[in-house]
Amino acid sequence: MIQGLVQLFLFQAFGELLAKFALPMIPGPVLGLVLLLLYLALRGHVPDHIDGVGSTVLQHLGLLFIPASVGVVLYLPLLKANAWGIASALLVSVLATIAVTSGLLKLLSRAAEEPRDEQ
Amino acid sequence: MSNELPPISDIWVYLSGSPLLALVLTLSAYWIGLSIYERTQRNPLANPVLIAVVLVAGVISALNMPYAKYFEGAQFVHFLLGTATVSLAIPIYKGWASLKRRIGVLLLALFAGAATSIVTAVGVARWLGVDESLVRGLVAKSVTAPIAMGIAERVHASPTLTAIFAVSTGILGAVLGRFVLNGLHIQAWWQRGFALGVAAHGIGTSRALSVHPEAGAYASLGMGMHGIAGAVLIPYLAGQLF
Repeated sequence: MIQGLVQLFLFQAFGELLAKFALPMIPGPVLGLVLLLLYLALRGHVPDHIDGVGSTVLQHLGLLFIPASVGVVLYLPLLKANAWGIASALLVSVLATIAVTSGLLKLLSRAAEEPRDEQ
Repeated sequence: MSNELPPISDIWVYLSGSPLLALVLTLSAYWIGLSIYERTQRNPLANPVLIAVVLVAGVISALNMPYAKYFEGAQFVHFLLGTATVSLAIPIYKGWASLKRRIGVLLLALFAGAATSIVTAVGVARWLGVDESLVRGLVAKSVTAPIAMGIAERVHASPTLTAIFAVSTGILGAVLGRFVLNGLHIQAWWQRGFALGVAAHGIGTSRALSVHPEAGAYASLGMGMHGIAGAVLIPYLAGQLF
């Protein structure tokens, strides 16, 4: 378990360094994610110790964004004043995103798979 | 004199100066949230994060504890977000082998969906006259929360608002997604799952996983791909919108 944790921290640190000195527009942890992905591709499998720690952390991902989300107390008056607009924007946006993504998948895969069916 | 218990205010001063109070508060609120979620058969409306945030916000308001003070202790939990983001490589890698033959179609749908998410959210909010400081928080809200908060810092949006909007988006997508999918007659599990992962990230993904394993695998991939693409592209897109 410790081995996996150390390796995840190392990838996180490499990502932060890369973000600091080379790619400042991309968050460090995302660069760490890409580096880990490359490492896994090179290894050809997910080593057990990384899998164990990583899966545990991801299982409780929700816990990790509670501290930042509680900051909502600072924005309550502003959010209340704009509640209707924000709720509409969130609702329209998520429904439109699901419709466009799934609709396009259906359309494109039909176009790609139909010629194969005729053979 | 020395045998008397210290006054309650002294105990309070000691406790609130230690990170333990914020940590215990955060973890127990999440624990309560999780048990309610389990007891409602994982109903997306009983989202454990939402329940925990309401509980913690209520308690610190009742205690008159400033948010900055709470965060000072809770930052140890917050720090692990970066580690969790790195760990997202694991499900992406595992899903990759079986999904790569469809990668072209998936990428096109991802970019169209991601653009739709930002343009509709910002468009509707501006049209309804929402305060500009809140509109910025909408830009990264369809990306998984740990990455969304990192993006938010780079586009000068509030990571807190972004996290709140991301969680709300996830819940809305998980609850209402199937009505849109059924309305459009989307039957393939991989198409339904991927759309949920792109639009409603982690919360949509756990919903997809509970419905069908194939939908879950594609939802994880949709969430992961949206995270990476969003981190690269959203800062540039935000530059155009603001």
